Amino acid sequence: MKTEDYYFSPIISDLKRNIDEIKKISGGSSDLLVNEFISGGIKCALLCCEGMLSTSTITKLILEPITNIDTKKSSEELFKHIQDKLLLSVDRLEAENYGNLFRTLNSGFAILIADGMAKALAFGVQGYAVRGIDEPAGEANIMGAHEGFVEVVRTNMSLLRRRMKSPFLVMELFVKGDKSQTDLCLCYMRDRVPKKLLKQIKNSLDNMQLESILSTGYVRPFTENKSFELFSSTGTTERPDVLCSKLIEGRVAILVDGVPFAIVIPRLFCESFQTLDDYAFKPYYSTFIRWIKYAAFIISVILPALYVSVAMYHPELLNSTLLMILVKSEAKAPLSLITESLGVLLMYEIIREAGIRLPKSVGGAVSIVSGLIIGDSAVDSGLISTPLLTMTALAVISGFVVPELNAPLTILRFAFLIAGGIFGLFGISLLACAVLINICATEDYGFPYTAPISPFKVRGMRDTFVREGMLKMQNGGFTVEEYHE
Amino acid sequence: MNKISYGQFASLLLITDAFALLCLYGNISVLTTAGFLTGIIIQTIMAIPVIKFYNSGGALKNCRKVVCWFYLIYLLLWGGILFSMLWNAAEIIYIPFENIGFVSEKLLISGLIAVSCLYVSSPGIKAMSRAGTIVAVLGVLCLLIFLVSAVPNAKFEYLTDLWNSNGFFDEFIRGFSISGSLGSFVVLLEFVNGSKTKSSIMYFSGKAILYTVVTIAATSVAGGIMTITNFPIVSAAELSQPFSVQRIDSLFLMIFVILAVFSIAVQVIAASYLFRLIFTSFSILRSTCSLVLMIGAAFALSKVGIYHWAYAIAVMVALLIVPTAMLIKKSRGRG
Repeated sequence: MKTEDYYFSPIISDLKRNIDEIKKISGGSSDLLVNEFISGGIKCALLCCEGMLSTSTITKLILEPITNIDTKKSSEELFKHIQDKLLLSVDRLEAENYGNLFRTLNSGFAILIADGMAKALAFGVQGYAVRGIDEPAGEANIMGAHEGFVEVVRTNMSLLRRRMKSPFLVMELFVKGDKSQTDLCLCYMRDRVPKKLLKQIKNSLDNMQLESILSTGYVRPFTENKSFELFSSTGTTERPDVLCSKLIEGRVAILVDGVPFAIVIPRLFCESFQTLDDYAFKPYYSTFIRWIKYAAFIISVILPALYVSVAMYHPELLNSTLLMILVKSEAKAPLSLITESLGVLLMYEIIREAGIRLPKSVGGAVSIVSGLIIGDSAVDSGLISTPLLTMTALAVISGFVVPELNAPLTILRFAFLIAGGIFGLFGISLLACAVLINICATEDYGFPYTAPISPFKVRGMRDTFVREGMLKMQNGGFTVEEYHE
Repeated sequence: MNKISYGQFASLLLITDAFALLCLYGNISVLTTAGFLTGIIIQTIMAIPVIKFYNSGGALKNCRKVVCWFYLIYLLLWGGILFSMLWNAAEIIYIPFENIGFVSEKLLISGLIAVSCLYVSSPGIKAMSRAGTIVAVLGVLCLLIFLVSAVPNAKFEYLTDLWNSNGFFDEFIRGFSISGSLGSFVVLLEFVNGSKTKSSIMYFSGKAILYTVVTIAATSVAGGIMTITNFPIVSAAELSQPFSVQRIDSLFLMIFVILAVFSIAVQVIAASYLFRLIFTSFSILRSTCSLVLMIGAAFALSKVGIYHWAYAIAVMVALLIVPTAMLIKKSRGRG
């Protein structure tokens, strides 16, 4: 049976045929549990999905009250009695077709069907195994909260609500993905969000016709510009506190069930350099750290390329001491400087990927092999020069300062290295122009990625080039709409 | 239509002026500064009718096609001049070519710059104006570094040394001849959102400050070698080093290339707009056509050798043609 066939089919009122139909649609799946019983003189069945609900909750809150109904009733009266007199669960739904029945069933609801009723009652008694709320791995924080999003969308919604008690925070749940039937939640502050932005995002999501949604990466392309962009104009965060701050600024967020990340729209370039810790420290220190991050970003992209191009084509730019050190160390190296640099960078990327994919217990071994054996022996044998290794390591470590930009940084580092290796500073400059225009052309729903730097907005500078104190920033009433072009 | 702010407009034009100034060929002195400044004042006055034209709701698309044709040819020629300026200045700025021996130096520079310009101009005026502002800020930073580095090396007696300088009138004409960006001024002013007067004031005052600061600093630093240097501004930058043991020429080389790409891309985008006005059905490859024609013009101009006078006259005509066309249209309307 095709998905389309069953989805809108109305529920059969005859219990036996109804159960047969449900079993037929599910293809005899082993996790479908059907418990038949009699309540109020009517044949009923409680359907549930194994492992998706709490056994104790279902027994105490649903099975016991329902089976205790003694008085004889008709099917309609029974359902009315359950609906009106018994508060079996706080999350109660009705399903009139098999599409809704299966969606709720597979979301951990207990489904009650009865003979003679062409509808089903669903009770929210989810109790599946979930990961506990933990500190986010990718967005570490010193002074802020240590809670991160989890895989359950409803828990993530509660994490947001705990921080934003205002009724203006709206969370709209909807379902996407023909096969996965994934819950998505659109979050925004009703009084802050630009209406046009919200409408455009909703339109973009309406155009999404995916079979399954298994990560934020499935949704993001639908909300981004279609042209080639090096940097993503939508961001992600795994911290509810960070998301709250974005929502207050009028941004829109999308939570995806099964993913501990929220998509934030629109995202600006300067935001990659901001952390919640910036607001916990004194402004002068936060400003200093922010500038360190900007410098680290530039170092990460162009340091290896600058080193290679200056050493190969513009050695006159080095002072005599530096030049002598370089000449001495490179004299022993058997490969050309550009080949050597590309090799080292490639090796680093391979080791990094191995470190991520390998089980944690083996991860330590990768560090030892890469750091001690490959690194040390490569330098000792003269295959790689020490200054080159130092430059590469510096560039790579600098990239860790802005983890969110790691993907474009990696590619740009290689691209600049090749440009610098072939055409020297001339090549680096040409590539810089191309990258600059690409960043400046990045725009989503009319919000330039480079705002507030260009187009220049004075008000935005107080949290971009510097970090002004809270006393000055309070009651700013800032919304992202100020950057709209 | 894509609109740009007055700051973005001024940035785009000042980038072109800064590049033309960097490639300035021949001796300079205080008379150069005086000639250039006088030229800018006259340009400002001549620009008033153009500003009025746009302030009154005028647009190039409403002008006769001959006006668009004039500006298109002007921009293509000015783009060509920028290319030839780049080739000339590249003689003293090292660009490595040993890896690609079978391609001529000029062709390789043109090809690489052309590809970069094409990419830079492809997202449109809005993206380019955003990038232009960032480039302008970088330019200002480099200028500040140049000035700070120039102070220890500057000898102010060079400012009074006028024996090797051209006359005031020659410098005045030279100032006009490197003001080719006035063509894009007329075309791009239409894109400015808000006051055209404010935009023009910002541009001309910025240009005056840029020309004054750079020529004075370069004269005071490179005055001693003025007779043996062809590119005084580049030489002054090379002589101005903030550290005694460390050269920072790389910074100037990088900003030189970036300014070159953006200044040519500005002409490309303006020419591409005029192509659209003239040939309405010509919707693709407008930028590519503009660039190819500019490179062709550059090769032709480098063979022919046009004097400063010719450029200066073209600049003056550029500022006069819109008001003249407007006046003709009005008088015909009355008739």
